[in-house]
Amino acid sequence: MGTYALRRVIQMIPLLLVISLVIFGLTALQPGDPVDQMVFGNSNITPEDIARLRAAYGLDQPWITRYFFWLQQAVTGNFGYSQDFGIPALEYIFQNRLPNTLLLTVPALVISTLIAVPLGIFSAVRQYSVLDYLLTFFAFVAVSAPVFWVGALALYFFAISLPQLTGGLLSLPPGGLGGDMPAEAGWWAVTLDRLKYLLLPLMVLMLREIAVTMRFMRANMLETLTQDYVRTARAKGLADRRVLYKHALRNAVTPIVTLMGLSIPGLFGGAVITETVFSWPGMGKAILDALVTKDFNVVMVCLMMLAVLTVVFQLLTDLAYALVDPRIRYS
Amino acid sequence: MKKTFALTVFLLGGALAGPANNSLVVGTSQEPPNIYDPWNTNNLSITSEINGYLGASLIQLDDNGEASADIATRVPSIANGDYKIVKDAKGDVVRNSVTYTIRKDAKWSDGTPIKVADFQFWLKLENDDRVPVPDREPWNRAKITAADTDTFTITYEPPYLFADQTSPGLAPSHVMGAAWNAFDAKTKNEKDAKVTSEEWKKFLSAYTTARNLPKVVAGPFKPTAWRSGNSLTLTRNTNYWGQPKNLDNYVKTVTYRFIPNTNTLKVNILSGQLDALGTVGLTFDQGVDLARSERGKFKTYFVPGAVWEHIDINTRGQRSKDLDLDDPRMRQGLLYAIDRDALTKALFQGRQAVSNSWIGPISKLYKKDVNDYNYSPSKAKALFTAVGWTPGSDGILQKGGKKLTLNFSTTAGNTTRERVQQILQSQWKAVGVQVNIQNYPSSVIFGPDFLSKGETGKWDMAMYAWSNNPIFEEGNLFKASGIPTAANGYSGQNNSGWNNAEFSKLQTQAKTEFNQADRIKLFDRMQTIWNAEVPSLPLYFRVNTYTKVPGLVNYTFSAYTQYPSWNAAKIGWASKGAVEEYKQK
Repeated sequence: MGTYALRRVIQMIPLLLVISLVIFGLTALQPGDPVDQMVFGNSNITPEDIARLRAAYGLDQPWITRYFFWLQQAVTGNFGYSQDFGIPALEYIFQNRLPNTLLLTVPALVISTLIAVPLGIFSAVRQYSVLDYLLTFFAFVAVSAPVFWVGALALYFFAISLPQLTGGLLSLPPGGLGGDMPAEAGWWAVTLDRLKYLLLPLMVLMLREIAVTMRFMRANMLETLTQDYVRTARAKGLADRRVLYKHALRNAVTPIVTLMGLSIPGLFGGAVITETVFSWPGMGKAILDALVTKDFNVVMVCLMMLAVLTVVFQLLTDLAYALVDPRIRYS
Repeated sequence: MKKTFALTVFLLGGALAGPANNSLVVGTSQEPPNIYDPWNTNNLSITSEINGYLGASLIQLDDNGEASADIATRVPSIANGDYKIVKDAKGDVVRNSVTYTIRKDAKWSDGTPIKVADFQFWLKLENDDRVPVPDREPWNRAKITAADTDTFTITYEPPYLFADQTSPGLAPSHVMGAAWNAFDAKTKNEKDAKVTSEEWKKFLSAYTTARNLPKVVAGPFKPTAWRSGNSLTLTRNTNYWGQPKNLDNYVKTVTYRFIPNTNTLKVNILSGQLDALGTVGLTFDQGVDLARSERGKFKTYFVPGAVWEHIDINTRGQRSKDLDLDDPRMRQGLLYAIDRDALTKALFQGRQAVSNSWIGPISKLYKKDVNDYNYSPSKAKALFTAVGWTPGSDGILQKGGKKLTLNFSTTAGNTTRERVQQILQSQWKAVGVQVNIQNYPSSVIFGPDFLSKGETGKWDMAMYAWSNNPIFEEGNLFKASGIPTAANGYSGQNNSGWNNAEFSKLQTQAKTEFNQADRIKLFDRMQTIWNAEVPSLPLYFRVNTYTKVPGLVNYTFSAYTQYPSWNAAKIGWASKGAVEEYKQK
């Protein structure tokens, strides 16, 4: 398995190089650049100013030349400065944005999986029961409802209606990161303050994840329960609980590992709509803003990080199969 | 006890906004990339707004457009001898100069006196090729001569028309000087502009970013905490000389909350989390919506602004000739065919006044008595007929077997503009003009290959806006030399490509006309010509929408001041004893 893993790691290098070239090219070939925005609407700008600004931002070079300059710097760990924020792109992403995103997406994935997997199993085992119908109804609503709409509803309810109904006793903040609580208030107050701001976006983000994972788990479980070996186990007189957890569940959970493995890079990419609705300064919004304003260095850091994570987690997922499924062995 | 407090905070959820702790919480939809960059290398509105709290200038304008001294001891004028205009034998102005004396008590926030050296340092960098300022007008022709450490004269040669209305910037040379010298030594022989650019960013980011807050400022507030993506907190700068009497009666801290989604911003206002909004935030529609939900908790304001919404008519290229768009009668017909009064009433409750000039009514140069092009489909049809366009069997105007079909573009996703398009499209259809709506993202519209390249025929009509300062008006928008061409690097703003010799001659003349009355006469004639030819269809001047809670005083702005931070020192709560000096108009 070690040789297999090593071979896959080596194969990643040319793959990532091609990805970086494609991302850089696509970003550079979008219409407009930061200097265009400065030129437009400024009656005092001269052709000399334009030439000077283009040279300063390196935009007077063909995109392929700029790509190799970027690559040359990137391999030394220098990913340049953010055009929009005037700080190193790495610092902007890894200090200012990624921690916020992980604070939101990791609990969302963990909690939603912990809730969704048992619900999915229950829904499959008690197929066509009232609860199964209720859970199925919930899943379809949660998957169908647009996140921006659910988010807006949640904001209006918890930030405006709930305080009105309870005379201001209960409310949740309408978006933002929080954390402005003075340290003197004590760690309890500071933690609860952060939690208070986290709660709404977390709930909205989890809603959809619970629905998707639960339906996925239910479908896998139902398929597994019809397999011959499950019937055989039952025919042998094994207890239902043993059949379910020892035989069916271990097989049904394999696709969930794939789902989780592929979800992890997504955790780093943020949740752009949830982040936007709740003014949560995370990765999704950062990537979108950088693409809109043509902040090349930030775009490259974000998308390359996601590319690396995707290929790494694909490998880890493949390796994890061997752990959960005894039939799979790599050589 | 602490746990009880924490639980209470958790349940109550509200931010500590309002007069309770004499603070001000302002919401805005945009976060500045940096603050207090003395050279304004980013020119975003939100940066300018926040810099209003942090900065000071030699002179400043109030809501009425009247100048007052801030760092300077008095407002320069010809009468007091501080403003001088030098003419040659022919009577032409060859240079002008302004003398400023710095107040003795003017200090940086660390207590260091502000000196002439700070203005010289600023001007030196402003004109340095390595500093990526967007443009250097008028500083590329300015020279500072120090009389002593507190008095200097700035001379503009060639002369600068608005020399007495503006003043040079300043930067803390005692703080930034050494780092600049290191930058200078490192990059003076550097051939690669990208390397220099990275070094510049390193230099600047050490004084202007969330990680490295400005070390000193000159204005009434100083930054104390900036949580990137979340909030920026400013506290009083006790070394600012212009603080009001009874300072405790005025707000002690100002917190900006960055809320990118404007609907979320609305929820924040409705839930009482914000005391006021900044100027970058609500759309007009959201303002109207909020005005219905005030219930005495806040008030919504619609402040007349200097942003002019219009439709450029493309007069360049073969396509525009084929469509006769280069003929003024055609453009007049298009303007007569639309009911702008009804449009602003229907969409903007009449709050955004119809315009008939590119100059705003607040400007001294504004000419009121021009043709108002009141809605008249009959006049429109007559004008089209005069140019040779007559209705075909389907009602669409035709000439030589060709239908009059115009491509109408604006920034996709701008719902207000898209609604205006729909209304105008149907009004033009009523007089036989077929209009195809072809919208593009703003990056395309304002990109290098669209508006500025009208000769390619990619657009016939384009709706967008210009921000026209009521004071610094030079008539640049429609001068012939402002037509974007390969020769000028596509840098002009005259996207319609309208070329009128008399207008351009008057515009050149006005640029060096230092007598205000004579300048008004020149602009009077320019507006008459423009109004007769209508290279752009004027629509309306936009209003700026914001809210504030009752009792917040001196939080006002106008088209002159643009941001409520112009009077930052005096912002306060009436309930805390703050005295109201300016009311929002």
